[in-house]
Amino acid sequence: MDERLVRAKIPTELEKVLGVESQPKSKAEAFVQAFLQSSTRQDTNSLNTHKAVILGYARPKKKKSQNSKKARGLNARQKREMKVFQIKPEHQRYELFLPLHNLWRQYIIDLCNGLKPSSNPQLVQQKLLKADFHGAIITVVRSKCPSYVGTTGILVQEFKHVFKIITKEDRLKVIPKRNSVFAVEINGFVSYIYGSKFEQRASERSAKKFKVKGTIDL
Amino acid sequence: NMENLQQTSRNLLVCDQSSLRHRKCRLSQQVQQHHFNHQVSLLLPECGSAPPPLDAALRSFSSSYLLRKLPLHELLDTHFLQDAVYQGSVYGLSYRSRIDEDTCVALLPSGQLVLSLDKDVYERLGVEGKPSRFNQRANSRYVVTVNLTDSSMAPGGRGYQRLLTGLKSRVQLQTDFLLSHHPGGGEALKALLSRYDWTEHRPQVSSRLLTNLPCPTPLTSDLPSCDPHSFLEWLGAVEAEVSCDNESTSFLSTLVCPEPRAVLSRALRVRVSGLLLPQDVYRLIEELRRCWDGRGTASWAALTVQGFADSPVSWGSREHGFLKGGENFYSLLLCSDHSYWLCMGTGAHDGCPP
Repeated sequence: MDERLVRAKIPTELEKVLGVESQPKSKAEAFVQAFLQSSTRQDTNSLNTHKAVILGYARPKKKKSQNSKKARGLNARQKREMKVFQIKPEHQRYELFLPLHNLWRQYIIDLCNGLKPSSNPQLVQQKLLKADFHGAIITVVRSKCPSYVGTTGILVQEFKHVFKIITKEDRLKVIPKRNSVFAVEINGFVSYIYGSKFEQRASERSAKKFKVKGTIDL
Repeated sequence: NMENLQQTSRNLLVCDQSSLRHRKCRLSQQVQQHHFNHQVSLLLPECGSAPPPLDAALRSFSSSYLLRKLPLHELLDTHFLQDAVYQGSVYGLSYRSRIDEDTCVALLPSGQLVLSLDKDVYERLGVEGKPSRFNQRANSRYVVTVNLTDSSMAPGGRGYQRLLTGLKSRVQLQTDFLLSHHPGGGEALKALLSRYDWTEHRPQVSSRLLTNLPCPTPLTSDLPSCDPHSFLEWLGAVEAEVSCDNESTSFLSTLVCPEPRAVLSRALRVRVSGLLLPQDVYRLIEELRRCWDGRGTASWAALTVQGFADSPVSWGSREHGFLKGGENFYSLLLCSDHSYWLCMGTGAHDGCPP
Protein backbone atom coordinates (compact mmCIF):
# COMPACT_ATOMS: atom_id res chain seq x y z
CA MET A 1 0.00 0.00 0.00
CA ASP A 2 1.36 3.28 -0.80
CA GLU A 3 2.52 5.36 2.11
CA ARG A 4 0.84 8.41 0.62
CA LEU A 5 -2.45 6.73 1.08
CA VAL A 6 -1.80 6.35 4.79
CA ARG A 7 -0.97 9.99 5.12
CA ALA A 8 -3.68 11.24 2.83
CA LYS A 9 -6.18 13.62 4.18
CA ILE A 10 -9.64 12.29 4.88
CA PRO A 11 -12.14 13.75 2.39
CA THR A 12 -14.39 16.54 3.86
CA GLU A 13 -17.66 14.57 3.35
CA LEU A 14 -16.41 11.74 5.53
CA GLU A 15 -15.22 14.11 8.23
CA LYS A 16 -18.76 14.93 9.25
CA VAL A 17 -19.92 11.32 9.04
CA LEU A 18 -17.04 9.94 11.09
CA GLY A 19 -16.90 12.81 13.45
CA VAL A 20 -13.12 13.11 12.94
CA GLU A 21 -11.17 16.21 12.39
CA SER A 22 -8.19 15.77 10.13
CA GLN A 23 -5.27 17.71 11.16
CA PRO A 24 -2.67 19.45 9.04
CA LYS A 25 0.44 17.54 8.17
CA SER A 26 2.88 18.95 10.73
CA LYS A 27 0.52 18.51 13.59
CA ALA A 28 -0.21 14.95 12.53
CA GLU A 29 3.50 14.12 12.45
CA ALA A 30 4.10 15.58 15.88
CA PHE A 31 1.11 13.68 17.24
CA VAL A 32 2.48 10.37 15.82
CA GLN A 33 5.95 10.94 17.27
CA ALA A 34 4.56 11.74 20.69
CA PHE A 35 2.31 8.70 20.59
CA LEU A 36 5.21 6.41 19.62
CA GLN A 37 7.50 7.79 22.30
CA SER A 38 4.93 7.35 25.01
CA SER A 39 4.12 3.84 23.99
CA THR A 40 7.54 2.37 23.18
CA ARG A 41 9.73 4.29 25.63
CA GLN A 42 12.66 4.04 23.18
CA ASP A 43 14.42 6.35 20.87
CA THR A 44 12.25 6.08 17.79
CA ASN A 45 15.03 7.25 15.50
CA SER A 46 17.25 4.48 16.52
CA LEU A 47 14.46 2.04 15.82
CA ASN A 48 14.30 3.14 12.27
CA THR A 49 17.98 2.91 11.44
CA HIS A 50 19.02 -0.36 9.90
CA LYS A 51 20.33 -2.53 12.60
CA ALA A 52 21.13 -6.14 12.48
CA VAL A 53 19.23 -7.97 15.08
CA ILE A 54 20.50 -11.38 16.08
CA LEU A 55 17.78 -13.88 16.32
CA GLY A 56 18.06 -16.98 18.43
CA TYR A 57 19.26 -20.37 16.98
CA ALA A 58 16.76 -22.08 14.93
CA ARG A 59 17.91 -25.53 16.16
CA PRO A 60 17.68 -26.49 19.80
CA LYS A 61 21.07 -27.12 21.48
CA LYS A 62 21.96 -30.78 21.98
CA LYS A 63 22.72 -31.62 25.56
CA LYS A 64 26.11 -33.37 26.03
CA SER A 65 25.39 -36.67 27.69
CA GLN A 66 27.18 -37.02 31.00
CA ASN A 67 27.63 -40.80 30.55
CA SER A 68 31.07 -40.75 28.82
CA LYS A 69 32.73 -41.91 32.01
CA LYS A 70 33.88 -45.27 30.57
CA ALA A 71 37.50 -46.12 31.37
CA ARG A 72 39.88 -44.81 28.67
CA GLY A 73 42.89 -46.50 30.10
CA LEU A 74 46.29 -45.04 30.93
CA ASN A 75 48.80 -44.11 28.29
CA ALA A 76 52.36 -45.45 28.35
CA ARG A 77 53.83 -42.54 30.29
CA GLN A 78 51.27 -42.90 33.04
CA LYS A 79 51.88 -46.62 33.20
CA ARG A 80 55.59 -46.06 33.60
CA GLU A 81 55.03 -43.46 36.29
CA MET A 82 52.67 -45.61 38.24
CA LYS A 83 55.04 -48.59 37.85
CA VAL A 84 52.14 -50.93 37.42
CA PHE A 85 54.20 -53.61 35.69
CA GLN A 86 57.13 -53.63 38.04
CA ILE A 87 57.45 -56.31 40.63
CA LYS A 88 58.55 -55.02 43.97
CA PRO A 89 61.69 -56.58 45.47
CA GLU A 90 59.81 -58.08 48.38
CA HIS A 91 57.64 -59.93 45.87
CA GLN A 92 60.59 -61.27 43.92
CA ARG A 93 60.73 -64.69 45.48
CA TYR A 94 60.75 -67.96 43.59
CA GLU A 95 58.46 -69.74 46.07
CA LEU A 96 55.75 -67.16 45.52
CA PHE A 97 55.54 -68.07 41.85
CA LEU A 98 55.41 -71.84 42.23
CA PRO A 99 51.60 -71.88 42.61
CA LEU A 100 51.45 -69.90 39.37
CA HIS A 101 53.55 -72.57 37.73
CA ASN A 102 51.19 -75.30 38.91
CA LEU A 103 48.25 -73.34 37.57
CA TRP A 104 50.00 -73.03 34.25
CA ARG A 105 50.66 -76.75 34.09
CA GLN A 106 46.99 -77.49 34.73
CA TYR A 107 46.04 -74.98 32.06
CA ILE A 108 48.32 -76.54 29.48
CA ILE A 109 47.21 -80.07 30.30
CA ASP A 110 43.60 -79.02 29.88
CA LEU A 111 44.42 -77.15 26.71
CA CYS A 112 45.98 -80.18 25.11
CA ASN A 113 43.23 -82.52 26.30
CA GLY A 114 45.45 -84.33 28.75
CA LEU A 115 49.09 -84.64 27.74
CA LYS A 116 49.55 -88.38 27.30
CA PRO A 117 52.76 -89.92 25.91
CA SER A 118 50.68 -91.02 22.94
CA SER A 119 49.46 -87.55 21.97
CA ASN A 120 50.44 -86.19 18.61
CA PRO A 121 53.36 -83.74 19.06
CA GLN A 122 52.12 -81.66 16.11
CA LEU A 123 48.79 -81.07 17.82
CA VAL A 124 50.44 -80.14 21.09
CA GLN A 125 52.72 -77.73 19.29
CA GLN A 126 49.82 -76.06 17.48
CA LYS A 127 48.05 -75.50 20.77
CA LEU A 128 51.20 -74.20 22.42
CA LEU A 129 51.70 -71.60 19.70
CA LYS A 130 48.58 -69.81 20.84
CA ALA A 131 48.94 -70.54 24.53
CA ASP A 132 49.96 -68.13 27.23
CA PHE A 133 53.29 -68.85 28.87
CA HIS A 134 53.03 -66.88 32.08
CA GLY A 135 54.12 -69.27 34.80
CA ALA A 136 56.06 -71.68 32.58
CA ILE A 137 59.55 -72.82 33.51
CA ILE A 138 61.75 -71.66 30.67
CA THR A 139 65.41 -72.55 29.94
CA VAL A 140 67.68 -70.84 27.43
CA VAL A 141 69.18 -73.63 25.35
CA ARG A 142 71.00 -71.78 22.58
CA SER A 143 71.87 -68.16 22.19
CA LYS A 144 74.10 -65.91 20.14
CA CYS A 145 75.30 -64.44 23.41
CA PRO A 146 76.82 -67.30 25.44
CA SER A 147 76.15 -65.80 28.86
CA TYR A 148 72.37 -66.28 28.50
CA VAL A 149 72.73 -70.01 27.91
CA GLY A 150 71.62 -72.10 30.87
CA THR A 151 69.43 -69.53 32.66
CA THR A 152 66.29 -71.23 33.97
CA GLY A 153 63.32 -69.82 35.77
CA ILE A 154 59.59 -69.17 35.95
CA LEU A 155 58.28 -66.68 33.40
CA VAL A 156 56.62 -63.82 35.23
CA GLN A 157 56.11 -61.28 32.48
CA GLU A 158 56.12 -61.54 28.74
CA PHE A 159 56.58 -58.35 26.77
CA LYS A 160 56.89 -57.80 23.09
CA HIS A 161 60.66 -58.32 22.91
CA VAL A 162 61.75 -59.74 26.27
CA PHE A 163 60.94 -62.42 28.77
CA LYS A 164 61.19 -61.59 32.44
CA ILE A 165 61.94 -64.67 34.47
CA ILE A 166 62.68 -65.30 38.10
CA THR A 167 65.42 -67.80 38.85
CA LYS A 168 65.77 -70.12 41.82
CA GLU A 169 68.20 -67.67 43.39
CA ASP A 170 65.37 -65.10 43.51
CA ARG A 171 66.91 -62.98 40.78
CA LEU A 172 64.68 -61.29 38.23
CA LYS A 173 66.36 -61.73 34.84
CA VAL A 174 65.39 -59.94 31.65
CA ILE A 175 66.16 -62.05 28.58
CA PRO A 176 65.63 -60.65 25.07
CA LYS A 177 63.73 -62.99 22.80
CA ARG A 178 65.80 -62.33 19.72
CA ASN A 179 68.63 -64.70 18.79
CA SER A 180 67.83 -67.24 21.48
CA VAL A 181 66.15 -70.62 21.65
CA PHE A 182 64.06 -71.41 24.73
CA ALA A 183 62.96 -74.81 25.98
CA VAL A 184 59.65 -75.32 27.74
CA GLU A 185 59.08 -78.66 29.40
CA ILE A 186 55.72 -80.09 30.39
CA ASN A 187 55.12 -83.73 31.40
CA GLY A 188 58.02 -85.02 29.36
CA PHE A 189 57.22 -82.94 26.27
CA VAL A 190 60.02 -80.51 25.53
CA SER A 191 59.09 -77.71 23.21
CA TYR A 192 61.72 -75.44 21.66
CA ILE A 193 60.72 -71.82 21.07
CA TYR A 194 62.77 -69.84 18.59
CA GLY A 195 62.66 -66.41 20.18
CA SER A 196 63.36 -64.45 17.01
CA LYS A 197 60.03 -65.61 15.56
CA PHE A 198 58.15 -65.03 18.81
CA GLU A 199 58.47 -61.27 19.08
CA GLN A 200 54.82 -60.40 19.61
CA ARG A 201 52.85 -59.49 22.70
CA ALA A 202 51.24 -62.50 24.31
CA SER A 203 47.80 -61.10 23.61
CA GLU A 204 48.55 -60.52 19.94
CA ARG A 205 50.16 -63.91 19.49
CA SER A 206 46.95 -65.78 20.21
CA ALA A 207 45.43 -64.32 17.06
CA LYS A 208 48.51 -64.53 14.84
CA LYS A 209 49.04 -67.06 12.07
CA PHE A 210 52.61 -68.28 11.97
CA LYS A 211 54.16 -68.59 8.55
CA VAL A 212 57.28 -70.57 7.78
CA LYS A 213 59.59 -67.85 6.53
CA GLY A 214 63.34 -67.42 6.50
CA THR A 215 65.87 -69.45 8.38
CA ILE A 216 65.78 -70.60 11.98
CA ASP A 217 69.55 -70.38 12.25
CA LEU A 218 70.47 -67.84 14.92
CA ASN B 1 85.50 -65.68 -12.65
CA MET B 2 88.71 -64.25 -13.99
CA GLU B 3 89.42 -62.13 -10.93
CA ASN B 4 89.44 -65.18 -8.67
CA LEU B 5 92.01 -66.92 -10.83
CA GLN B 6 94.38 -64.01 -10.55
CA GLN B 7 94.18 -64.04 -6.77
CA THR B 8 95.88 -66.94 -5.07
CA SER B 9 95.85 -67.47 -1.35
CA ARG B 10 98.90 -66.05 0.30
CA ASN B 11 101.72 -67.79 2.13
CA LEU B 12 103.97 -66.15 4.67
CA LEU B 13 107.67 -66.80 4.93
CA VAL B 14 109.74 -65.12 7.62
CA CYS B 15 113.51 -65.50 7.23
CA ASP B 16 115.88 -64.80 10.05
CA GLN B 17 119.63 -64.72 9.66
CA SER B 18 121.78 -64.65 12.75
CA SER B 19 124.44 -66.49 14.69
CA LEU B 20 124.10 -68.80 17.67
CA ARG B 21 126.91 -66.93 19.33
CA HIS B 22 125.02 -63.66 19.04
CA ARG B 23 123.84 -62.20 22.33
CA LYS B 24 120.32 -61.50 21.16
CA CYS B 25 119.80 -64.74 19.31
CA ARG B 26 116.09 -65.54 19.40
CA LEU B 27 116.31 -69.09 18.15
CA SER B 28 115.40 -70.74 21.44
CA GLN B 29 112.21 -68.64 21.83
CA GLN B 30 111.18 -69.32 18.26
CA VAL B 31 111.72 -73.04 18.70
CA GLN B 32 110.06 -73.27 22.10
CA GLN B 33 107.00 -71.33 20.97
CA HIS B 34 106.19 -73.85 18.27
CA HIS B 35 104.34 -76.19 20.60
CA PHE B 36 103.04 -78.94 18.35
CA ASN B 37 105.68 -80.53 16.12
CA HIS B 38 104.81 -83.48 13.99
CA GLN B 39 108.02 -84.29 12.14
CA VAL B 40 111.68 -83.36 12.38
CA SER B 41 113.80 -84.01 9.30
CA LEU B 42 117.59 -83.64 9.40
CA LEU B 43 119.82 -83.46 6.32
CA LEU B 44 123.50 -84.15 6.97
CA PRO B 45 125.77 -83.77 3.95
CA GLU B 46 128.83 -85.99 3.45
CA CYS B 47 127.60 -88.35 6.14
CA GLY B 48 127.04 -92.08 5.96
CA SER B 49 125.53 -92.47 9.37
CA ALA B 50 124.66 -90.15 12.19
CA PRO B 51 127.37 -89.60 14.77
CA PRO B 52 126.54 -91.42 18.03
CA PRO B 53 125.63 -88.42 20.19
CA LEU B 54 123.32 -87.15 17.49
CA ASP B 55 121.81 -90.57 17.08
CA ALA B 56 121.22 -90.79 20.82
CA ALA B 57 119.52 -87.38 20.79
CA LEU B 58 117.32 -88.48 17.91
CA ARG B 59 116.20 -91.61 19.67
CA SER B 60 115.51 -89.96 22.98
CA PHE B 61 112.44 -87.94 22.01
CA SER B 62 109.64 -88.32 24.61
CA SER B 63 106.78 -90.58 23.75
CA SER B 64 103.19 -89.40 23.59
CA TYR B 65 99.93 -91.06 24.58
CA LEU B 66 96.83 -91.39 22.47
CA LEU B 67 93.55 -91.55 24.44
CA ARG B 68 90.52 -92.84 22.61
CA LYS B 69 87.16 -91.05 22.95
CA LEU B 70 88.17 -88.74 25.76
CA PRO B 71 85.23 -86.60 27.00
CA LEU B 72 86.57 -83.08 27.11
CA HIS B 73 85.31 -82.33 30.60
CA GLU B 74 87.99 -84.75 31.83
CA LEU B 75 90.58 -82.12 30.99
CA LEU B 76 89.12 -80.19 33.93
CA ASP B 77 89.51 -83.11 36.31
CA THR B 78 91.14 -81.90 39.54
CA HIS B 79 93.69 -84.73 39.71
CA PHE B 80 94.75 -84.12 36.14
CA LEU B 81 95.08 -80.41 36.86
CA GLN B 82 97.16 -80.95 39.96
CA ASP B 83 99.45 -83.67 38.63
CA ALA B 84 99.98 -82.49 35.09
CA VAL B 85 98.80 -78.98 34.31
CA TYR B 86 100.07 -77.20 37.40
CA GLN B 87 103.43 -79.05 37.37
CA GLY B 88 105.56 -78.88 34.26
CA SER B 89 104.05 -78.49 30.81
CA VAL B 90 101.28 -80.50 29.16
CA TYR B 91 101.01 -80.68 25.39
CA GLY B 92 97.62 -81.90 24.21
CA LEU B 93 96.04 -81.97 20.77
CA SER B 94 92.85 -83.50 19.44
CA TYR B 95 93.65 -86.30 17.03
CA ARG B 96 92.16 -86.68 13.54
CA SER B 97 89.87 -83.65 13.88
CA ARG B 98 89.79 -81.26 10.96
CA ILE B 99 90.28 -77.62 11.90
CA ASP B 100 87.80 -76.29 9.36
CA GLU B 101 85.00 -78.78 10.05
CA ASP B 102 85.13 -80.44 13.47
CA THR B 103 85.83 -79.17 16.94
CA CYS B 104 89.55 -79.02 17.61
CA VAL B 105 91.11 -78.78 21.04
CA ALA B 106 94.64 -77.83 22.04
CA LEU B 107 96.13 -77.77 25.53
CA LEU B 108 99.15 -75.49 25.62
CA PRO B 109 102.02 -75.84 28.10
CA SER B 110 101.15 -72.46 29.60
CA GLY B 111 97.89 -73.97 30.83
CA GLN B 112 95.71 -72.46 28.13
CA LEU B 113 92.93 -74.61 26.74
CA VAL B 114 92.03 -73.57 23.18
CA LEU B 115 88.73 -74.83 21.76
CA SER B 116 88.04 -74.20 18.09
CA LEU B 117 84.28 -74.72 17.72
CA ASP B 118 81.74 -74.36 14.97
CA LYS B 119 78.72 -72.08 15.40
CA ASP B 120 76.19 -74.60 16.67
CA VAL B 121 78.46 -75.99 19.36
CA TYR B 122 79.55 -72.53 20.48
CA GLU B 123 75.98 -71.28 20.78
CA ARG B 124 75.07 -74.24 22.96
CA LEU B 125 78.19 -74.35 25.12
CA GLY B 126 77.62 -71.06 26.91
CA VAL B 127 81.23 -69.94 27.45
CA GLU B 128 82.38 -66.60 26.08
CA GLY B 129 84.71 -66.79 23.11
CA LYS B 130 85.77 -64.80 20.05
CA PRO B 131 84.91 -65.31 16.40
CA SER B 132 87.74 -66.81 14.41
CA ARG B 133 89.93 -64.38 12.51
CA PHE B 134 89.54 -66.39 9.35
CA ASN B 135 85.77 -66.30 8.95
CA GLN B 136 84.88 -65.31 5.42
CA ARG B 137 81.61 -63.44 5.88
CA ALA B 138 79.22 -64.93 8.38
CA ASN B 139 80.74 -66.05 11.66
CA SER B 140 80.92 -69.79 11.32
CA ARG B 141 83.81 -70.59 13.62
CA TYR B 142 84.54 -69.47 17.16
CA VAL B 143 87.59 -69.84 19.37
CA VAL B 144 87.21 -70.20 23.13
CA THR B 145 90.45 -69.69 25.09
CA VAL B 146 90.54 -70.47 28.78
CA ASN B 147 93.55 -70.26 31.08
CA LEU B 148 93.38 -73.21 33.44
CA THR B 149 96.10 -71.81 35.70
CA ASP B 150 94.23 -68.56 36.23
CA SER B 151 92.61 -67.94 39.62
CA SER B 152 89.16 -67.58 38.02
CA MET B 153 89.46 -71.14 36.66
CA ALA B 154 90.46 -72.72 39.96
CA PRO B 155 88.31 -75.80 40.69
CA GLY B 156 85.10 -74.71 42.35
CA GLY B 157 85.26 -71.19 40.96
CA ARG B 158 82.48 -69.72 38.82
CA GLY B 159 84.37 -69.83 35.52
CA TYR B 160 85.41 -73.43 36.15
CA GLN B 161 81.86 -74.50 37.04
CA ARG B 162 80.41 -72.84 33.97
CA LEU B 163 82.86 -74.54 31.60
CA LEU B 164 82.40 -77.85 33.37
CA THR B 165 78.57 -77.81 33.12
CA GLY B 166 78.90 -76.67 29.54
CA LEU B 167 81.17 -79.57 28.58
CA LYS B 168 79.34 -82.14 30.69
CA SER B 169 75.64 -81.47 30.25
CA ARG B 170 75.02 -78.91 27.50
CA VAL B 171 77.41 -80.12 24.80
CA GLN B 172 78.95 -83.55 25.27
CA LEU B 173 82.21 -83.14 23.35
CA GLN B 174 84.30 -86.24 22.92
CA THR B 175 87.41 -86.70 20.83
CA ASP B 176 90.58 -88.77 20.49
CA PHE B 177 93.36 -86.93 22.23
CA LEU B 178 97.16 -86.94 21.95
CA LEU B 179 98.88 -86.06 25.21
CA SER B 180 102.46 -85.54 26.23
CA HIS B 181 104.02 -84.17 29.39
CA HIS B 182 107.38 -82.63 30.09
CA PRO B 183 109.21 -83.62 32.22
CA GLY B 184 106.91 -86.14 33.87
CA GLY B 185 105.95 -88.24 30.87
CA GLY B 186 103.36 -90.94 31.38
CA GLU B 187 103.59 -90.82 35.15
CA ALA B 188 102.11 -87.34 35.37
CA LEU B 189 99.24 -88.32 33.09
CA LYS B 190 98.20 -91.48 34.89
CA ALA B 191 95.09 -89.78 36.32
CA LEU B 192 93.57 -89.84 32.84
CA LEU B 193 95.38 -92.88 31.44
CA SER B 194 93.95 -95.15 34.10
CA ARG B 195 90.37 -94.39 33.08
CA TYR B 196 90.45 -94.42 29.30
CA ASP B 197 91.68 -96.55 26.47
CA TRP B 198 95.23 -95.48 25.66
CA THR B 199 98.21 -96.41 23.53
CA GLU B 200 101.75 -95.16 23.79
CA HIS B 201 103.39 -93.69 20.72
CA ARG B 202 107.15 -93.74 20.59
CA PRO B 203 108.54 -91.35 17.95
CA GLN B 204 109.63 -93.34 14.91
CA VAL B 205 113.11 -92.71 13.52
CA SER B 206 113.83 -93.51 9.89
CA SER B 207 116.91 -92.70 7.85
CA ARG B 208 117.86 -92.79 4.19
CA LEU B 209 121.11 -92.35 2.37
CA LEU B 210 121.03 -90.08 -0.68
CA THR B 211 123.77 -90.23 -3.33
CA ASN B 212 124.92 -87.83 -6.03
CA LEU B 213 122.99 -84.95 -4.67
CA PRO B 214 123.52 -81.52 -6.25
CA CYS B 215 123.58 -78.83 -3.63
CA PRO B 216 124.25 -75.08 -3.50
CA THR B 217 127.72 -74.15 -2.24
CA PRO B 218 128.95 -71.14 -0.35
CA LEU B 219 131.28 -68.66 -1.97
CA THR B 220 132.75 -66.60 0.79
CA SER B 221 131.11 -67.30 4.16
CA ASP B 222 129.61 -70.59 5.16
CA LEU B 223 126.09 -69.59 4.23
CA PRO B 224 125.03 -70.42 0.66
CA SER B 225 125.27 -67.60 -1.80
CA CYS B 226 121.71 -68.00 -3.05
CA ASP B 227 118.78 -66.37 -1.32
CA PRO B 228 116.88 -68.22 1.43
CA HIS B 229 113.82 -68.71 -0.75
CA SER B 230 115.60 -70.68 -3.46
CA PHE B 231 117.49 -72.64 -0.83
CA LEU B 232 114.20 -73.55 0.80
CA GLU B 233 112.79 -74.67 -2.54
CA TRP B 234 115.79 -76.89 -3.13
CA LEU B 235 115.60 -78.30 0.40
CA GLY B 236 111.93 -79.08 -0.09
CA ALA B 237 112.71 -80.86 -3.34
CA VAL B 238 115.32 -83.00 -1.57
CA GLU B 239 112.93 -83.85 1.27
CA ALA B 240 110.16 -84.77 -1.15
CA GLU B 241 112.67 -86.71 -3.29
CA VAL B 242 111.91 -84.70 -6.38
CA SER B 243 114.83 -84.65 -8.80
CA CYS B 244 116.40 -81.29 -9.51
CA ASP B 245 117.91 -82.24 -12.84
CA ASN B 246 115.28 -80.46 -14.91
CA GLU B 247 115.69 -82.87 -17.79
CA SER B 248 113.86 -82.02 -20.94
CA THR B 249 112.23 -85.43 -20.97
CA SER B 250 110.78 -85.12 -17.52
CA PHE B 251 107.51 -83.27 -17.10
CA LEU B 252 107.18 -83.64 -13.35
CA SER B 253 109.07 -80.64 -12.12
CA THR B 254 111.18 -77.78 -13.30
CA LEU B 255 112.92 -77.22 -9.99
CA VAL B 256 116.67 -76.64 -10.25
CA CYS B 257 119.41 -76.48 -7.72
CA PRO B 258 120.52 -72.86 -7.26
CA GLU B 259 123.91 -71.85 -8.68
CA PRO B 260 126.72 -72.16 -7.84
CA ARG B 261 126.42 -75.83 -7.13
CA ALA B 262 128.46 -78.86 -6.33
CA VAL B 263 127.55 -82.53 -6.25
CA LEU B 264 127.62 -84.32 -2.92
CA SER B 265 128.64 -87.91 -3.11
CA ARG B 266 126.36 -88.82 -0.25
CA ALA B 267 124.03 -87.24 2.29
CA LEU B 268 122.04 -88.66 5.17
CA ARG B 269 118.40 -87.77 5.77
CA VAL B 270 116.97 -88.76 9.17
CA ARG B 271 113.30 -88.34 10.09
CA VAL B 272 111.53 -88.50 13.46
CA SER B 273 107.74 -88.28 13.60
CA GLY B 274 105.14 -88.27 16.36
CA LEU B 275 104.01 -85.60 18.83
CA LEU B 276 107.44 -84.07 19.43
CA LEU B 277 108.12 -81.65 22.23
CA PRO B 278 109.92 -78.38 21.46
CA GLN B 279 112.30 -79.05 24.35
CA ASP B 280 113.48 -82.22 22.57
CA VAL B 281 113.86 -80.32 19.29
CA TYR B 282 115.98 -77.67 20.96
CA ARG B 283 118.09 -80.36 22.59
CA LEU B 284 118.70 -81.82 19.13
CA ILE B 285 119.81 -78.42 17.84
CA GLU B 286 122.20 -78.04 20.76
CA GLU B 287 123.61 -81.51 20.06
CA LEU B 288 124.08 -80.59 16.41
CA ARG B 289 125.96 -77.48 17.42
CA ARG B 290 128.20 -79.51 19.74
CA CYS B 291 128.94 -81.98 16.94
CA TRP B 292 130.28 -79.17 14.83
CA ASP B 293 133.03 -78.29 17.19
CA GLY B 294 134.68 -81.58 16.50
CA ARG B 295 134.10 -82.06 12.78
CA GLY B 296 135.47 -80.13 9.85
CA THR B 297 134.24 -82.01 6.83
CA ALA B 298 130.84 -80.57 6.01
CA SER B 299 130.02 -76.94 6.36
CA TRP B 300 126.28 -77.05 7.01
CA ALA B 301 123.28 -79.14 8.17
CA ALA B 302 119.59 -78.52 7.57
CA LEU B 303 116.79 -79.24 10.00
CA THR B 304 113.11 -78.95 9.04
CA VAL B 305 110.36 -79.14 11.63
CA GLN B 306 106.76 -79.60 10.44
CA GLY B 307 103.76 -78.68 12.57
CA PHE B 308 100.31 -80.28 12.56
CA ALA B 309 98.02 -79.25 9.73
CA ASP B 310 94.91 -79.32 11.96
CA SER B 311 96.27 -77.66 15.06
CA PRO B 312 94.24 -74.68 16.37
CA VAL B 313 97.46 -72.74 17.13
CA SER B 314 100.72 -72.34 15.25
CA TRP B 315 103.32 -70.36 17.25
CA GLY B 316 102.41 -69.37 20.80
CA SER B 317 98.66 -68.85 20.80
CA ARG B 318 98.42 -67.47 17.27
CA GLU B 319 95.36 -68.88 15.55
CA HIS B 320 95.98 -71.39 12.76
CA GLY B 321 93.57 -72.40 10.04
CA PHE B 322 93.42 -74.58 6.96
CA LEU B 323 92.56 -73.07 3.60
CA LYS B 324 94.36 -75.05 0.89
CA GLY B 325 97.02 -76.42 3.19
CA GLY B 326 97.70 -76.33 6.91
CA GLU B 327 101.44 -75.84 6.75
CA ASN B 328 103.22 -74.30 9.71
CA PHE B 329 106.85 -75.28 9.61
CA TYR B 330 110.34 -73.92 10.02
CA SER B 331 113.65 -74.78 8.42
CA LEU B 332 116.95 -74.19 10.13
CA LEU B 333 120.19 -74.10 8.13
CA LEU B 334 123.05 -74.37 10.59
CA CYS B 335 126.62 -73.65 9.52
CA SER B 336 129.92 -74.63 11.02
CA ASP B 337 130.71 -71.09 12.13
CA HIS B 338 127.47 -71.13 14.20
CA SER B 339 125.62 -68.79 11.90
CA TYR B 340 122.20 -69.88 10.78
CA TRP B 341 119.22 -69.18 8.57
CA LEU B 342 115.78 -69.73 10.06
CA CYS B 343 112.85 -69.73 7.62
CA MET B 344 109.39 -69.96 9.18
CA GLY B 345 106.49 -70.54 6.84
CA THR B 346 102.75 -70.47 7.32
CA GLY B 347 99.73 -70.64 5.03
CA ALA B 348 96.78 -68.43 4.17
CA HIS B 349 94.75 -68.74 7.37
CA ASP B 350 97.59 -67.93 9.72
CA GLY B 351 99.17 -65.14 11.63
CA CYS B 352 102.73 -64.01 11.16
CA PRO B 353 105.40 -66.24 12.80
CA PRO B 354 107.53 -64.58 15.50
